[in-house]
Amino acid sequence: MKRCILTILLVALLVSSMAFAKTKLTFAVHWSDYQVEGIKDKEGNVVTKGLRQYVEEYMASNPDIEIEIQMVPFGEYLTRILVGRLAGAASDIYVLYSLWGVQLVESGVLDKVPKEVATAIKNDFVEAAVGGATINGEIRGIPTEVANYALVYNKKILKAGGYDEPPKTWDELIDMASKLTIKKEDGTVQQYGYVYDTSSNSGTVHPYLARLYSLGGQLFSNDNKKCLLDSKEAIQALDAEIEIFRRGGTDSAATHGDFQNGRAAMVILAPWWESSLKIAFGDQYEETIGVAPIPPMKDPKSVSYTWFVGVDALSKNKKEAWKFLEWFCIEPLPNGATRMGEFLANNIGAIPSRKADLDAFPDKLNDLYTSVYVQELANTVPEPNVAQGEEIKNIIWREIIEARHQRKTPEKALSDAKRQIDEILSEFY
Amino acid sequence: MSKVGRKRARAGYGFISPSLIFYSIFFIFPVVFSLIASFKRWNGLIPLFSAAWVGLENYKWLFGSDLFVSSVINTVVYSVVTVVVGIFISLILAVLINGSKLSGFWRLLFFLPTVTPAVAIGTIWGYLYRANNGLINQILGWFGIKPIRWLTDPKTALLSIMITAIWAGIGMQILIITASLQNIPQDYYDAAKIDGAGSFRIFWSITLPLLRPILLFLTATGMIGAWQVFDLPYIMGTNAPAKSIMTVSWYVYETAFQSLRMGRASAGAFILFCIIFVANILVLRAFKKGGIEGYE
Amino acid sequence: MNSKSKRFIKEFFRYLIIIFAAFWMVLPFFWMVSASLMTPQEITSIPPKWIPEKPQWHNYIDVLERVPIGKYYLNSLLVAGTATLGVILTSSLAGYAFAKLNFPGKKPVFQFILVTMMFPVFIFLIPNFFLMKTFGMLTNHLSLIVPFLVSGYGIFLLRQFIMSIPDELLDSARIDGASEFKIYMSIILPNIKPGLSALAITTFIGQWNNFLWPMIISSFSPNLMTVPVGIQRLSLAFASAETQHLVLAGLVYQVVPMLIVFVYFQKNFIKGFVVSGFGNV
Repeated sequence: MKRCILTILLVALLVSSMAFAKTKLTFAVHWSDYQVEGIKDKEGNVVTKGLRQYVEEYMASNPDIEIEIQMVPFGEYLTRILVGRLAGAASDIYVLYSLWGVQLVESGVLDKVPKEVATAIKNDFVEAAVGGATINGEIRGIPTEVANYALVYNKKILKAGGYDEPPKTWDELIDMASKLTIKKEDGTVQQYGYVYDTSSNSGTVHPYLARLYSLGGQLFSNDNKKCLLDSKEAIQALDAEIEIFRRGGTDSAATHGDFQNGRAAMVILAPWWESSLKIAFGDQYEETIGVAPIPPMKDPKSVSYTWFVGVDALSKNKKEAWKFLEWFCIEPLPNGATRMGEFLANNIGAIPSRKADLDAFPDKLNDLYTSVYVQELANTVPEPNVAQGEEIKNIIWREIIEARHQRKTPEKALSDAKRQIDEILSEFY
Repeated sequence: MSKVGRKRARAGYGFISPSLIFYSIFFIFPVVFSLIASFKRWNGLIPLFSAAWVGLENYKWLFGSDLFVSSVINTVVYSVVTVVVGIFISLILAVLINGSKLSGFWRLLFFLPTVTPAVAIGTIWGYLYRANNGLINQILGWFGIKPIRWLTDPKTALLSIMITAIWAGIGMQILIITASLQNIPQDYYDAAKIDGAGSFRIFWSITLPLLRPILLFLTATGMIGAWQVFDLPYIMGTNAPAKSIMTVSWYVYETAFQSLRMGRASAGAFILFCIIFVANILVLRAFKKGGIEGYE
Repeated sequence: MNSKSKRFIKEFFRYLIIIFAAFWMVLPFFWMVSASLMTPQEITSIPPKWIPEKPQWHNYIDVLERVPIGKYYLNSLLVAGTATLGVILTSSLAGYAFAKLNFPGKKPVFQFILVTMMFPVFIFLIPNFFLMKTFGMLTNHLSLIVPFLVSGYGIFLLRQFIMSIPDELLDSARIDGASEFKIYMSIILPNIKPGLSALAITTFIGQWNNFLWPMIISSFSPNLMTVPVGIQRLSLAFASAETQHLVLAGLVYQVVPMLIVFVYFQKNFIKGFVVSGFGNV
């Protein structure tokens, strides 16, 4: 009798512990605030779904899975991956900036993408994004957003200066920038013709790359052994920016903020600025903001950077992690789009990189702002994936700043950058 | 040693043991770990033991790097200027406030930044320093001064950050100096007045010499903090040419967590430690020459 | 010039300098509060605005709706409070030993503690995180508290205070047969109250404002989020202009409790500091 009770107890214990033994997945994201919690109305009802609502939907249909969202500020995201892995507390799923990819793959951080997922990625996603998630010839994650660049301009300022159209060539842009700049007597700049995005190194380096590509130049040789910043095209691409400074169309105190308060005519921005501009211009938004392709120096070209979701090679639940990601990023909803596409288009304000997703949200992706970016995807070259990508990007960024302050000529700045970058490349290739 | 002495020594060991146990876990381990890392080529993503041993290469590389050397120079300038000028301003204000009405209120006012986080200070001053729509340039404009590109002009970027740092630091210094000021016996001043000394002379020959021990304390602790400055330049200075504004801590942080060169970053951290160590010995020496005992 | 007008000029300059300095002390705080009540457009307008046209009080409500700031307050309070108690305890014990007790190795050990203050904080990040994980503290508040229980600065500061207590006081207690711990409790602690409150306030503020470490920890255990980390959640990775007014309001939420604590305790603190023997190093 006693033994019987004991057995029953043991079985009950086993069963209940199995019932409670959920598989836990941790998902580290650089999104925050409403991007995770959803956009809510005054009563607290969710108007636009955030990551949390998608995750809850998945957990409801997969009761054996528990997904924990871990929020990390973008600036500390790499730190976080590092610290977590060293201490044996790695997350299962990451959202990764493509530029980090090479190091992560070469250090064995990222799991391989399951075959059928890789096939789906090759078939369903735009080329620039597949390129972004491809590291050393192999796809390492599911592409999420693709961010390219376009010229955003202030229609009212252009009109007041006598221009009905945005510039069609870079030379036109230089001309217009200097004519549209207004200085007050005390030296304060009342209005800039051209400003640049100073919020991160991308705002400087990516537009530069777009000009470089437009001239037919390249950042690295095909075998990644040499940096080509000493090429004629590279120098010309930087000189074209510094010329705006020389002609008084901008200065070193200019920022994207000046564009947002309507004190600057033109700026080159990524697609996710849309929501900021809508807030900044309020009901004047539609009549003020215009978007055009980056005025080419030669060929029409834009540059993109991409993100992808990947699974940590140390994860104990890789299969479950990929299953969730497939559900989130590959499996179509009735409208043909994925949940990730819906989330990116509706909540983040980013451009999804899956082809069918691009057609599924016309009100978001075919509006006056984003449509230009989507069209430009055809001319977009992804930022190259290379070892020490972030370090190299910082070097280029810093040297361009030196040139902007006219502490160095474009040639000198770029040859200094090349020297440092060549040293890095020789370590890895 | 006498029996009493032994008893006291035992108590001494007992009292320092919590701190020593703490340090042997949370200090020795990290320092040894980082010291080993500084001799390796390690990206932080692979286990430390499997990273390649490169000897002194990381140290050599840093000394050959323009940016690192500039960051050392910037840090030296920043530490010396913020500490010396900060203490000088605090000294003047402490003396002025000490004899004023509402002295408690003034001290409270000057202390406010001390309770404010560096992130908030950096953010707010970043707004104030804006070239075309910052309050500071607007105020200067009332006096006919042309707008200054505080945080982007390489000539003023580090200066702007030092001004903010001094602003943030003087409250505590004023407080500590005031404490010593009020401990100077009134007789000293009375005697000097009878000799017909003016207030500047009294300050120079009585107040200042008596304050020297406290000035040593402020210089020593202030410098240790200033050498490690990170938040303010990192928050406010990213759009100035890096060579004019980057500090060693910032350099180390970026090298570690953006460039993923943990080995090189550790080497940078140890170089910084050596600089702080030597600087402190120099400060102690200088004060010792002036007749002030150090902290041995 | 007679001495009265000379005195007047002197006083005039005294207050001129003080008020000039005070203006610059207050300006950033004034602007922080003012800007936290502005619309995003007003914050970036040219020429700059000193006060909002219409105070946007709802910025403060929006912050509350977006982040559970009450929970963050509790976490911050628990963490900063416990760490402060720990620092006070360890610093006063060690400070007493270094100031008044003789034991072999005292000098090198004290120098070692000074040296610990000279290491850049970054080198502790990864190893200490590893330790936290090893000790199994990652999921609870201990991970935010334990690495901050001892402070070199605290030991240094309290040693200075304790040195100014006359030896005779201790000796007479010893003659009465008091143990060193009794002396610590009944003579040392009561005599260094200003020092303790100075250390308590600076430690508490430091912990309250601590960012990098709690950010790393709470990205693994979201239930451990503190106020500064929670405020950070308001700012988006890229489109920062969208939420800058909320971030400013968030900063006010973070700073104001500290100001209240400080204003409430400052009488004790500043006066205590002033009348203490701290000047007689």
